[in-house]
Amino acid sequence: MLEIRDLHVKFHNRDREAVAGISLTIGDGEIVGLVGESGSGKSVTAMSIAGLLPRKQCDLSGDILLDGEDLLHAPRSALRQIHGRKIGVVFQEPMSAMDPLMKVGEQVGEVLRIHTRMSKEERRARVLEVLQAVELSDPEAVYDKYPHELSGGMLQRAMIAAAIVIHPTLLLLDEPTTALDVTIQAQILELLKKLNAEWGISMLFISHNLNVVRKLCRRVAVMQRGELVEAGSTDQVFFRPQHPYTKRLIEAIPTRHGKETL
Amino acid sequence: MKYALKRILMLVLTMVIVSFLTFLAFELISGDPAEAKLGTEATPERLAALRHEMGLDRPFPVRYVSWLAGFVSGDLGTSYNYDMPVWELIAPKLEVTLCLCLLSFVLITAVSIPLAIWSYRWTGTAFDAVRTAFNQLCMAVPPFFTGILMSYFFGIVMRLFIPGDFPDLRTDFGEAVTHLFFAAICLGIPRAAMTVRMMRSTVIGEMQKAYVRTAISRGNDRRGVLTRHVLKNSLTSAVTFLGQTMAELIGGSVVVEQVFGIPGLGRLLVYSISNRDYPVVETLVVILAFWVVLAGTLADLINQRIDPRLRLGGAV
Ligand SMILES: Nc1ncnc2c1ncn2[C@@H]1O[C@H](COP(=O)(O)OP(=O)(O)OP(=O)(O)O)[C@@H](O)[C@H]1O
Ligand SMILES: [Mg+2]
Repeated sequence: MLEIRDLHVKFHNRDREAVAGISLTIGDGEIVGLVGESGSGKSVTAMSIAGLLPRKQCDLSGDILLDGEDLLHAPRSALRQIHGRKIGVVFQEPMSAMDPLMKVGEQVGEVLRIHTRMSKEERRARVLEVLQAVELSDPEAVYDKYPHELSGGMLQRAMIAAAIVIHPTLLLLDEPTTALDVTIQAQILELLKKLNAEWGISMLFISHNLNVVRKLCRRVAVMQRGELVEAGSTDQVFFRPQHPYTKRLIEAIPTRHGKETL
Repeated sequence: MKYALKRILMLVLTMVIVSFLTFLAFELISGDPAEAKLGTEATPERLAALRHEMGLDRPFPVRYVSWLAGFVSGDLGTSYNYDMPVWELIAPKLEVTLCLCLLSFVLITAVSIPLAIWSYRWTGTAFDAVRTAFNQLCMAVPPFFTGILMSYFFGIVMRLFIPGDFPDLRTDFGEAVTHLFFAAICLGIPRAAMTVRMMRSTVIGEMQKAYVRTAISRGNDRRGVLTRHVLKNSLTSAVTFLGQTMAELIGGSVVVEQVFGIPGLGRLLVYSISNRDYPVVETLVVILAFWVVLAGTLADLINQRIDPRLRLGGAV
């Protein structure tokens, strides 16, 4: 359903391509992990799918197809429709990713306001439903809260709710748990698993934490300096890494007993 | 509630301190209201008699406390120069100056916010340099200069008002406002230009923030991002700035009133200071202090409405 073919992204103010020819597919209902060290181009890849790159500051080439629709070369207004309706995005820092002056409920319902003809009441009902679905206790109260009144974990749940409220086909998660502490991180992962199973949303899960990816994804792709150096089933990549860079990444996983022996 | 109490306390404190400092300043600079009244030729006996009559022979703290007591009980005293109750002297002039400042303030607000958005949209185009130059010109041009130009052009050439002949605010409201209108423009141009510049850079700063990317990812177009998110987030700095503007306008009005021949507080203040007319100056100074604190308080209150994070101090 999502197909990336030979994607290149080059920022005008950089010598090296941020993304240097990536091809990747995500099937229906699949969660694909994308790992790699800082600066390897994971976010840029996600942003090009979501149409969030500053187009004037970079050159894009290749193809990104979502259910056969071209996400790279269509006119802007058409893209806004596709992006808003079909792709949800969750960023790393929920606190800064939310508008501090808008009630959480309104932000969660914003996609509906833009892309549907639902009335205010219908939107509210729908938002409350989704807040419930992301396991926020007392959705009514959360609806009327401002971002600074919620904890990081609760906010990230609200961000996820905002991203899925319109039932997108694809959810892009750019290190959604990195800013949270470990127990909350585990809860969010469980939630994502549940949403994937119950709602059938496909996900691209970005992380530089291989352990997290392992818990969530059946397939994983490894990026280094803008290139995809390895891709395959999670087990295969973990137990029989082909590329030296992947081996180093796996060796670097901290465990309770020092280096993990597999 | 606690907030309101704190604010009122601060207001009172500010007014007391400012009035005391003014009293002190008069004590330190030379000059004698009795002498100013009688002229330098007066005999020492007459001077002494008048000083006693005016209560000037009492020690400084006593005079201050007695003035303060009078002020608090609503007796503002009598002007030395005009021999009339201070309030009767000030009230009509205060009315005119307030009209001038409010008019100017409304113009600044109404013009600068749309202009800021508009100039933001032009960012990065060839027009940008022209815009910046014009903006700086507007900030630099002193109100007395535009005042003279406007008086000449709109007053003497186009005869929209008669410079120096200010109509009565109550009987000829329309004409008086026309007169004030041009003065308000001169008074407002530099502040409006500053507001535009400030607001534009705030918008540019807000546009870099992460929530903007989220808003775009939800399918907002440029306009939606601006109106739904960025403007509101930029508003608090604009309100603070406009609050300062409101406080500063009254100072700027002194010059503009001179140029346009408007009988406001400005001339009265200058005249009363040079003639050591304490009761008038004291009252004016307290009014100014009140105005400044009021402007700041209003700005704070509005900002608390806009930004829930500012409400934490138990303000509601
Ligand atoms: N707006 C931009 N302008 C110029 N260069 C950029 C821009 N955004 C990203 N880059 C560059 O693109 C490269 C890839 O960055 P990207 O953010 O995708 O890394 P990442 O893998 O997400 O790293 P991290 O784990 O730190 O988030 C980096 O070298 C970065 O400096
Ligand atoms: Mg990143």
